[in-house]
Amino acid sequence: MEVQPKTFADRDALIAHVRALSPSLSPEETFVSDTKGGRDAGQALLQNIDPIAYGRSRDYLGGAVSYLSPYIRHGLITLNEARNLALERGPEDGDAKPIEKFIQELAWRDFWQRVYQQNPDWIWHDIEDYKTGFTAEDYADTLPDDIRQAQTDCAAINYFITSLQTTGYLHNHARMYLAAYIVHWRRVKWQAGARFFLAHLLDGDPASNNLSFQWVASTFSNKPYFFNLENLQKYAHPQAPCDAASNQPLSGSYEALAEKLFPYGEPA
Amino acid sequence: MSALIWLHEDALRAAHPVFAEPHERAVFIWDDAYMAAMDYGLKRRVFLYESLLELPVEIYAGDTIETLEALARAAQASCLISPHTPNPRLNHIMEALSETLRVQRIADDAFVDLPPQEGLRRFFKYWNKAKKLAFTRDGGA
Ligand SMILES: Cc1cc2nc3c(=O)[nH]c(=O)nc-3n(C[C@H](O)[C@H](O)[C@H](O)COP(=O)(O)OP(=O)(O)OC[C@H]3O[C@@H](n4cnc5c(N)ncnc54)[C@H](O)[C@@H]3O)c2cc1C
Repeated sequence: MEVQPKTFADRDALIAHVRALSPSLSPEETFVSDTKGGRDAGQALLQNIDPIAYGRSRDYLGGAVSYLSPYIRHGLITLNEARNLALERGPEDGDAKPIEKFIQELAWRDFWQRVYQQNPDWIWHDIEDYKTGFTAEDYADTLPDDIRQAQTDCAAINYFITSLQTTGYLHNHARMYLAAYIVHWRRVKWQAGARFFLAHLLDGDPASNNLSFQWVASTFSNKPYFFNLENLQKYAHPQAPCDAASNQPLSGSYEALAEKLFPYGEPA
Repeated sequence: MSALIWLHEDALRAAHPVFAEPHERAVFIWDDAYMAAMDYGLKRRVFLYESLLELPVEIYAGDTIETLEALARAAQASCLISPHTPNPRLNHIMEALSETLRVQRIADDAFVDLPPQEGLRRFFKYWNKAKKLAFTRDGGA
């Protein structure tokens, strides 16, 4: 048995080696993220966190999010370290309120991991029925090609797909939009969407990803998550193309969209 | 009695408590079939390999169970030490290896020092218990 090398002339040489060790990869897969593995890169991001600004802006695509997820996912940085540093960076008077959001989001990961530990079989199975007026059989098993190719009828959605495929990262809100589009606008099983995300996200995690997909789908929540163009424009502009003309299927009031997406449905 | 550390993808950190355990060797197995089963594409695999470069492990390529069994035999190891994980694929591998080796699982630093809660389903059931510890250094540990 041969020990594999740990030094390479440059990143291209490392990539070539990874390919050689990965016969299962499709030769069409060519994108490599600019995000580098390793503790130093994770530490640099950790040192940059601003939990107070995060609390004010995290829902916006341009918000002060940490980009720590791949490092946390693979254990290079722990939730404990991130929390401890956030506590140090909180207000000097010790008021925890301004850093609550950041710490609560770290807690979401801990929560999903605990659910995963207790119920490993929930990761690929509907935990509950869909609460959309449809049953699981009404949803397609596979991801349509236009989604895979970022050629859908919504420019913002295409932008999210391309970002996912090229960078291996999406902002939390973009994940919610794209997941909701796949499951509710296109009526595709959440499993197909989840698999697509796992293949591209550097932080792709069976628990955080699949249980969030089930939360969007409503198989692990009380109602489906969906959004409208107005919401997208508020949070995703100017990063994503959010004009009405190129995002027609997303426009309308929540009531009108609910009627369109869930004609037999229950959502309030 | 000699021990082998099997580091897996959930714990790529030299400061993981697993390395505090007495051991002769530490290894990571690059298992193409495992990564395919996990749906990992090129981006993720490059991230993982880059993360391994700086760790005190030797990298071997092959089927995880077969490779670990061969390495344990060669090192005359009777114990396999590995980071704790919720991942059933990795746990299945540990269970298979426990037929020939003593397998020890080492937990990482916890976010909150809170025992598992029965029937966990909705976030706020967890958060009501975890919140105070979540705002405490080292999660109250
Ligand atoms: C459909 C969908 C799929 C998702 N898939 C994944 C996934 O595969 N892997 C993953 O780590 N997260 C996933 N998330 C959660 C969240 O979107 C990402 O953790 C976050 O966007 C990562 O960016 P960041 O590191 O800048 O996060 P920040 O907002 O800066 O948060 C800091 C850290 O807290 C954790 N975190 C933050 N928000 C969440 C959350 N809602 N759930 C769980 N952990 C959270 C992450 O570890 C993150 O790195 C998913 C969310 C949705 C809606």
